[in-house]
Amino acid sequence: MSTLTAKPIEDYTAKDYKSDLKPIWCPGCGDFGVVQAIYRALANIGRAPHEIAFISGIGCSSRIPGYTTAYGFNSVHGRALPIAQGIKLANPGLLVLCAGGDGDGFSIGGGHVAHAIRRNIDITYIVMDNQIYGLTKGQLSPTSRRGLATASSALGSMEAPVNPLLYVLGYGAEFVAQGTPADMNGLAKVIEEGIRYPGFAFINVQSPCVTYGQEDQMLKAQKAMMEPLDALKHDSADRLAAMDLAQAYGDKLYIGVLYRKPEPGPTFEYLARQRHEALMPTVKSRADVLNVFRLKK
Amino acid sequence: MNRDLVIGMAGSGGDGIVSAGESLLTAAALEGYHGVLTKSFGPQIRGGESSFRLRLCTQKVLNSGGSLDIAVALNWEDFLKFGGELPVGGQTTVIYDSNTNVAPDRIPLAGVAPAEVLPVPIEQMARDTGGSDRAKNTVVLGLMSGWLGIGRDEMIAGIRKRLSKKGAEIVERAEKAFHAGLQYAEQHPLKTNRLMAEPPATVAKFVVDGNDLCAAAAIVAGCDFFGGYPITPSSEIMHFLGREIWKYGGTMLQAEDEIAGIGAVVGASFAGKKALTATSGPGMSLKTEMLGLASIAELPLVCVDVQRGGPSTGIPTKGEQSDLLQAAFSAHGDVIRPVLAPVSAEDMFPITIEAFNLAEHYQTPVIILSDQEVGQRKETAEPIDASAVKLVERLKPAEKELEHYVRFRFTESGISPISHPGMKGGNYLASGIEHNEHGAPTANGEMHSRMNEKRLKKFSPLKQRRDLFIIEGNADAPLGLISWGSVAGCAIEAFQLATQKGLRVKLLVPRLLYPVSEQVYQEFFASIKRGLVVEQNHQSQLFRLLRMFVDVPRGIETLAKSGSNPITPDEIVDRLRQISLALQREKHHEPSGV
Repeated sequence: MSTLTAKPIEDYTAKDYKSDLKPIWCPGCGDFGVVQAIYRALANIGRAPHEIAFISGIGCSSRIPGYTTAYGFNSVHGRALPIAQGIKLANPGLLVLCAGGDGDGFSIGGGHVAHAIRRNIDITYIVMDNQIYGLTKGQLSPTSRRGLATASSALGSMEAPVNPLLYVLGYGAEFVAQGTPADMNGLAKVIEEGIRYPGFAFINVQSPCVTYGQEDQMLKAQKAMMEPLDALKHDSADRLAAMDLAQAYGDKLYIGVLYRKPEPGPTFEYLARQRHEALMPTVKSRADVLNVFRLKK
Repeated sequence: MNRDLVIGMAGSGGDGIVSAGESLLTAAALEGYHGVLTKSFGPQIRGGESSFRLRLCTQKVLNSGGSLDIAVALNWEDFLKFGGELPVGGQTTVIYDSNTNVAPDRIPLAGVAPAEVLPVPIEQMARDTGGSDRAKNTVVLGLMSGWLGIGRDEMIAGIRKRLSKKGAEIVERAEKAFHAGLQYAEQHPLKTNRLMAEPPATVAKFVVDGNDLCAAAAIVAGCDFFGGYPITPSSEIMHFLGREIWKYGGTMLQAEDEIAGIGAVVGASFAGKKALTATSGPGMSLKTEMLGLASIAELPLVCVDVQRGGPSTGIPTKGEQSDLLQAAFSAHGDVIRPVLAPVSAEDMFPITIEAFNLAEHYQTPVIILSDQEVGQRKETAEPIDASAVKLVERLKPAEKELEHYVRFRFTESGISPISHPGMKGGNYLASGIEHNEHGAPTANGEMHSRMNEKRLKKFSPLKQRRDLFIIEGNADAPLGLISWGSVAGCAIEAFQLATQKGLRVKLLVPRLLYPVSEQVYQEFFASIKRGLVVEQNHQSQLFRLLRMFVDVPRGIETLAKSGSNPITPDEIVDRLRQISLALQREKHHEPSGV
């Protein structure tokens, strides 16, 4: 693409990625921190905003692409990943970000996550996990803890929560991290690392809902309980160790990179390019495709 | 000598029925004949019943005809499962395998007296020459070659080509089986002469099927992305592109479900590429959410629905035209999506090109309503000249517009220049949420109203596209015949037959079904006193759709049948004749001076 001409990295600052739209989020919402962390990660990477496509589904957090200067797509509930994959495959030169809430990613769109992982298309998927449905005013989400009383579970939830970390590790995700706006430096860092990872990267962000969330999920409480994986001397190349830590989802708040595959596998778009290089020289023009219909003796 | 013959053959899945039909069509086409080959199967993956019907003609035909001239039953149980799809009548020559031990006067076709019934030791000949009953289809090819007087050298060449990899011995046996059939036919002339008349002078045709041709047309149209999910009877489109699209720099994604398939297509379109998805009714039900998104985000895409019997799983292997109302109306909100329908497999090429052009021009999803018949039948076609194809590209913002780009700018036409990621200055937010001109989310009533108006009015010029309608006959004819899709192939022939018989009838076949072009229909109906709308669905969906938008004359009747119940040209002509008689009686009774 002729227009893919990034300025030198040092020319970009976080505010180059901030749009003029005023967020609709409640004051104190965790998502403010997430979007700030994304600005900072993008500034460090230094790609021009027009070379970035940022896709989301529906929900409070899915408003996020509109608050950036990237090409944004605030699509429909649960379908951000299929759209993001189509964009990346159509133009692998783009930096493709995908974001949404826990309902978007693990309930209505849950079926897409596994397949995005196994295709290993180079997309960074950020889930703002707040264990509640905020935009529809406080119903159970797939990551709500059992027993939680909400608008849709006045008598308490009877279901166990999804464990997003174990889910994506189980499907073979090559890069899995967790962050929180309670640690802005750490959050910006894992987002940047996820974007730099050459393949599908998953980042779970504990982003509290200040309106419908629980007291122990607020940033102040998170600050007290978060445990940086660096300090724990966790080996992020050890997938089983990552799964072991992931099992504590809901009880402990580990932040940092749980798993980074030491030898990244091939991406879908890399394999596609190999195929293009092998096959495109075999045809002269698009009209060649009609030859199969010609009658041959 | 015959200019038009319909051959039907049925047996069990392992009998090579379909490959026999294809060999016959190819051999005849190489000699210059025209033909239409339809295949029909039971739902089983292996075994089960299998059949073909092949109409061979000295001129181009658009349907697979009515009653069979020649019926071939390898066994009666399987043959009978096809019922009305393989109709035997008084003019039919019935050939069946004598190993069925059924006497010619006891064949299980109640109430029918075929012209001739001939038991032939097909399996016996196959074993004696080919060494196994697997050569039965080759024996039948020999029989047909002999009785029809066609394709002898071509079929032998075909046998050699097809079996060459299996070794000289296999080829030799197959040739022997073919000659055994040929010799049998020469020694047992039929009572009714079935020899084909000389073919037209010009040869060099294409043999196409609707699904493959749709996929190929997409490549010619510049399609660079396909996303979809396997579903009968559309999967051949995905198969074809899975082999071919890479050669032209495109990408094919077999998605995890129908929603993700079209979702990836929406993404590819947002990224600036022409993109296609294909499915059948159940998949259409799942894709409607994304169709709505593409409409409000004003993103071009083409969605092919190869219709089958519905609702729900319905009849996956049999065609129907019952998705029209769904195609026109299924997504929620105030929306128009263009719906196109090809009338034949050959027509799939221009229709697919048109679909991409409309999608790009109007920045909209476009639906192609194909069906199992058009999608999977093979037919002879004129060679396609890709260099004559005119392609339309989406309106891109000019350099100057990118200085202060406004994605959804209100314009006179309702069409706004569209950028894509990678285009500097074109950055915008696409969304399923109602938005203002800049793409910013809004819940403002006035803005919603204006945006709806923008998205709807842009289609006004489309309704003026008379070239998307087949209109024939005298403008002042009092009888009208309307049909669409694959069944229009029967209606066009019925129109020709009725005109030859002196009926004052005219024909209207919309290839653009939605939005409904009020003006085209009103003009057509101006002279119409009575008429007939013919379609392959139970509710008369086109008839009902027209009544929503147009003043349909009260004398218009319907001929509508559920899928898997064939409609024939003769049947349409019969109805037209009845309607014509009724019209004459009506005139006769009209009080004078009125």
